[in-house]
Amino acid sequence: MSETSARILVPVGESSTFRNTAAYATREARRVASETGEEATVHFVYPVRWQLVDELERSASEEVADILDRARVWAAEDLDYDDDGEIDDDGVPVSIETAVVGEDRYLFSPSDFADVLLEYARDRDLGRIIVDPEYQPGGSAPMLQPLELELSRSDRIVEEAPVDRVVERGRFPSRSNLSKALVMFGASFSFYLLLAGVLDTFNLLTGAVSAGIVTTVFSRITFRETPKAGRLLRRTGRFILYVPYLLWEILKANIEVAYIILHPSLPIDPKIQRYRAAIWDDLSVTTLANSITLTPGTLTVDVDRDSLVIHSLTGSARDGLADGPLERAVRFIYYGRAAARIPSPRERGTVEDESVPPTPEEP
Amino acid sequence: MTPLEYLVSGLVLAGVFFGFVAVVGIIRLPDLYTRAHATSKSDTLGTVLSLGGVVLLFGADVAAVKTALLLLFMFITNPTAAHAITRAAYEQGIEPWTADDGGGD
Amino acid sequence: MVLEGFSTFQTILLGGAAAFATFAIVLLYRVVRGPTMEDRVIAINAIGTNTVVVLALAAAAFGQPGYLDVALVYALLNFLASIAISKFIVERGGVL
Repeated sequence: MSETSARILVPVGESSTFRNTAAYATREARRVASETGEEATVHFVYPVRWQLVDELERSASEEVADILDRARVWAAEDLDYDDDGEIDDDGVPVSIETAVVGEDRYLFSPSDFADVLLEYARDRDLGRIIVDPEYQPGGSAPMLQPLELELSRSDRIVEEAPVDRVVERGRFPSRSNLSKALVMFGASFSFYLLLAGVLDTFNLLTGAVSAGIVTTVFSRITFRETPKAGRLLRRTGRFILYVPYLLWEILKANIEVAYIILHPSLPIDPKIQRYRAAIWDDLSVTTLANSITLTPGTLTVDVDRDSLVIHSLTGSARDGLADGPLERAVRFIYYGRAAARIPSPRERGTVEDESVPPTPEEP
Repeated sequence: MTPLEYLVSGLVLAGVFFGFVAVVGIIRLPDLYTRAHATSKSDTLGTVLSLGGVVLLFGADVAAVKTALLLLFMFITNPTAAHAITRAAYEQGIEPWTADDGGGD
Repeated sequence: MVLEGFSTFQTILLGGAAAFATFAIVLLYRVVRGPTMEDRVIAINAIGTNTVVVLALAAAAFGQPGYLDVALVYALLNFLASIAISKFIVERGGVL
């Protein structure tokens, strides 16, 4: 790989400085190409965090397409704009490509993002990666620096686009922060009034003040994604469908556990297993982990990204888990009906014994 | 006694039964992982049944909503607490009891 | 067998509460015995859960919805205590 390259990859996401990054990338591609005579190309690549299975997630994929379209339009504009000063005869053509990557796997950590990006770069022979300084892979978690670190482990050139950061953050509430605050305020206010039980002026006033305090302190950290009314309602609806099923499972589990506990010979055969769930975000992992704990003889001991460490009381409990009905149910709640049709963990071979617990860390 | 009272009594008695199972489990099971099964399942169900009875009893009242909230809260926090405790044990490296270790402690 | 001054139904509710209270006392055995810290936390968590049920049943039996607020706060504290102690065990007092 040479010192620099006119073949550039730009990871794309929702960001306030992306306009400038796109401009920088196209400019660089052209500059390097005119120096080295290399063929210039800029690929705008969007790593998606979820599998786009649900009708709802399809609207998300439209958003993605929208952002990529914008990137393409901006890049085209920049190419013309740069030309107006000195219209160079050797106005090097820069080809612009856009792509969506990562649809077929779960992107969790910075290294997952780096992997898909690097794979793409390798396939297309892109030598240089320009990262937007405000780029947030996978929502609002601070992942940019570890991502850059992971990317720079490869043989590609990695740099951050030298663009001015807009410092409006925090001063003006963005639309996303506003909706987070509204949901938070609504929830805490109604909870307060519920506990108060009486709707008089005093309760309304103190409730509004308390909810206001809670909102200002916690609304930024409560949500990872921007709450959207439609998705929230659908998930709540599907969750309500899930509750009777879960209750039934819990009842069965309890009769089983009660039988085991009250049986004179205590017929148990406990074992710890590690199991990778096909589930991506915090909320659904929490739901699955808690559901597993509540149902047939299984208990979630540890969660590390999408892999759950599960202690099971009996062999039949292990079989029930490996059939994966709970996992399907949780996928149904959070990703929609289409997502519920997946092979069971046993068929996917994602269950393995975890015989030895990790060695204790002595201080 | 009214039919509602019979229903509530039934739920409370069922709750007491599962509460009893939880206690026997916590006393009797061989290690903390298995004991956590008893708290997270039997105790949760015992609680949910009893509280459910109380919800029915209060009927259409703020008190019923509060009890329902309490029920929901127990429903979410009980397994979470069991998870937190077992994870603490797991990270400390406490070996789980297996059938090979023989019966009883 | 009906408690004096209470209806049969109230007696059943109070009996349930008494049963849960007894379970809580029996659980003290596990708190004392251990053997590990986690066993104790599990037992204490279960005692807390039982206490919440006792409070709710008492609220129903005496027709005192005010007890429910106590139960709610107790449930919150019980959960927080379990989480805090677990965290404390893992980090050996490093963070808390």
